[in-house]
Amino acid sequence: MASAIAGAPPVNSFSESHARGRRLVDSIATVMLWAAAISVIGMLILFVVYLFVQGASAISWHFLVGYPSAADAGGGVGPEIFNSFYVLILTLIFTVPISVLAGVYLQEYAGPGRFRELVQFSAESLATVPSIVMGLFGLIVFVSLFHWHFTALGGALTLTLLNLPTMMRVTQEALSGVPATYREASMALGATKWQTVLRAILPSAIGPLTTGVVLVSGRIFGETAALIFTAGASVSYGASAYDFNPFHTAETLAVHLYSTQREALVPDAAQIANGSALVLLVMVLIFNVTARLVGRQLTLRFTGKAP
Amino acid sequence: MVEPLDPKPSALKSKMRVADLDVYYGAFQAMKHANLDVPERRVMALIGPSGCGKSTFLRALNRMHDLTPGARVTGSVTLDGNDIYAPGVDPVAVRHRIGMVFQRPNPFPKSIFENVVYGPKIHGEGNSKRLAEICEKSLRAAALWDEVKDRLNRSALDLSGGQQQRLCIARVLAVEPEVILMDEPASALDPIATSKIEDLIGQLTKDYTVIIVTHSMQQAARISDFTTFFLLGDLIEVGTTSDIFTRPTDKRTEDYITGRYG
Amino acid sequence: MVAVRANKAHREERIALGFLMTSSAIFVLAIALIIGFLAYNGTLLFWHDHVSLPAFLFGTDWDGFGGKFGAAPFIAGSLLATGFAILIGGPLGVAIGLFFSELAPERVAATFKPAIEVLVGIPSIVYGWIGLTLLVPFIAKVFHAEGDGLLAAGIVLSIMILPTVISLSEDALRVVPNSLREGSAALGATRWETMSRVLIPAASSGLAVAVILGIARAIGETLAVQLVLGNAAVMPSSLLLAASALTSEIVMDMGDAPEGSAFRHALFSMALLLLLIAMGLILLIRFALRKRT
Repeated sequence: MASAIAGAPPVNSFSESHARGRRLVDSIATVMLWAAAISVIGMLILFVVYLFVQGASAISWHFLVGYPSAADAGGGVGPEIFNSFYVLILTLIFTVPISVLAGVYLQEYAGPGRFRELVQFSAESLATVPSIVMGLFGLIVFVSLFHWHFTALGGALTLTLLNLPTMMRVTQEALSGVPATYREASMALGATKWQTVLRAILPSAIGPLTTGVVLVSGRIFGETAALIFTAGASVSYGASAYDFNPFHTAETLAVHLYSTQREALVPDAAQIANGSALVLLVMVLIFNVTARLVGRQLTLRFTGKAP
Repeated sequence: MVEPLDPKPSALKSKMRVADLDVYYGAFQAMKHANLDVPERRVMALIGPSGCGKSTFLRALNRMHDLTPGARVTGSVTLDGNDIYAPGVDPVAVRHRIGMVFQRPNPFPKSIFENVVYGPKIHGEGNSKRLAEICEKSLRAAALWDEVKDRLNRSALDLSGGQQQRLCIARVLAVEPEVILMDEPASALDPIATSKIEDLIGQLTKDYTVIIVTHSMQQAARISDFTTFFLLGDLIEVGTTSDIFTRPTDKRTEDYITGRYG
Repeated sequence: MVAVRANKAHREERIALGFLMTSSAIFVLAIALIIGFLAYNGTLLFWHDHVSLPAFLFGTDWDGFGGKFGAAPFIAGSLLATGFAILIGGPLGVAIGLFFSELAPERVAATFKPAIEVLVGIPSIVYGWIGLTLLVPFIAKVFHAEGDGLLAAGIVLSIMILPTVISLSEDALRVVPNSLREGSAALGATRWETMSRVLIPAASSGLAVAVILGIARAIGETLAVQLVLGNAAVMPSSLLLAASALTSEIVMDMGDAPEGSAFRHALFSMALLLLLIAMGLILLIRFALRKRT
């Protein structure tokens, strides 16, 4: 290394060739890390392109709104898409209020103590439950115990349990981003804690909160394992397929992909599966993009600041 | 513009020479046309009010600005006549010969032993006996050996602030540099730890050239042989410490010395 | 006037507090019920159908309808698939986390990160479908085998856990103070030497958490695994032969197992086992973290 500065007498007791080796290792490591990152991006591009190539031919207006077919080719996934949204909305109706209230409680109200620890621990434990296990819980309680059999409501309640922890974390993060000065200012004006939360804190957290809700919605939309045994994997045929009754079976698009590739009763099962996979992917992309855009807009509107 | 000042008697060799050094952070010029001779095996103090660029100057001397995105350095810095900024020079090699101690002690979360031998290990020393020798030698040179010799395998983070800083100095010494740069090494320490560090610096000049940034004029007066004064990115004046403090040539230096601005 | 308004506000406050605490209590109730119901249904096999625990855990004979409930093939399959996944996904995820925290310039990170978010969002059934229609035929061609099995499952799982491992690794590395990076550089270390000798050890507890959470995610994954594993209820003997996992078996046969049958109870027992493993991993993290601080 001494001779890297040309002409200088070597002062140190370590060799120069070792320095060249170290430089080489450093360069190789840098290249490999870049390669790792690029390969993952490349893989994503591969998946997206693959799904588009495979599924594009299946997409048609009829596919998107038509009824599935029991035995013939040419079935659609209209009711399944409807069910996906329906179950999603139902799930959000339960999940959002409970999670936001609990998140507000933990973040703004609860002092350190046993109840707080218990709730935090419960949320963490709830988050560890695998989705298939949650689905079985739904099976035990809603399908068997309540004798509902397969229902959209049963599916939604199961998904609620699955997503409560995530949504609560979203709430807590959104709330922690609100500057302490908002709280202080509000309380100094004589507002109660609840008034402060409702009128000052939640509105300024609305951006990250909405982003989180939309992102979680994307995951709910694609959920399968928890729904197969709660909302059902069977296909209804005919006009009764578009159904607002929460106590009816509701096979979602994701579950439909599963049952189609598994049973393959219709001759064009592969094509239907490809089309369903593509629709699911496109929905995920839409949810992701919407989450960012909406979050940004709301933050601008309610706080006047860019996020 | 300041001429390259030669403050020392001609008997003293110049270890490092800085010529026309400019440092930019983006569009902001933090150091303008600095020129300086650093005498060998002496302590050179860099003083000036906060924001004057003394740390910027110091970091240019071991190419630490290479690590800051957006920083740009022009000019030359030579060590024994060789420009460390010449094309093809490996900054890693530069830092082997010019070491640095930082304002806040920054020991690695490893044992005391592992901290000290970090440098030698990187440079290829694998022999455990030799490493133990280097460890003891460096810790003795840093006046820390007696305090830690029985707990070399304990975490460095268990040491007090002053001990951690001496450990960081030992760590630098283990690499066997020729120049040691110190960026306000005692400013985060209590007075007792500070005086230990100052005593240590006095010992170091037997083997090393020391350049130390300090915000305390009293410290500069206590421990340095030469002093350089900076103001707002300009190198104003350099001279022997006693000259600078008793009969500075530039009025700005005098204003600073007499406490006109802090 | 002020007093009346204050009273109303205080009443409002108390009602609100009631709702807040109830919502929080729902979390506690939920996990308690889940554990309770699963513990009950998951142990029926043992005290109602008189299957012994060792026979269940270590028996290699499985025939749901035939009354044989040795779940070892599934346990082994889950463990091997997960092990394989973390073997690939762990180092790769940490490497990319390292990339984001140390190497990537702002603009590159800003393009790559949304891409990782898309990877997270892809539903597991879609991963399974891609695995089944793209990866399995590929493996079949390259290795002259059927294509399904532990290799396929391991690869698919490793991709699925990557985002988790990447983001947690990156967080763990970013928390390491910059002063350590500077200190190492000032001692003449190359960037890789700083990364490998200082940063990774300093972030080790956070990286361990990243890996453990990756494991937890992999072991609970159902659909992707079911589509590519092959679903043969035999002890796994090769990466290229069809195998089965706890999750895939449950989703495969739960629909067919008659209600009240020992078969169904056995599947619930597998679900209970999964729950215990997943919770166990998270408790491990909790206590590992506690020890560090």
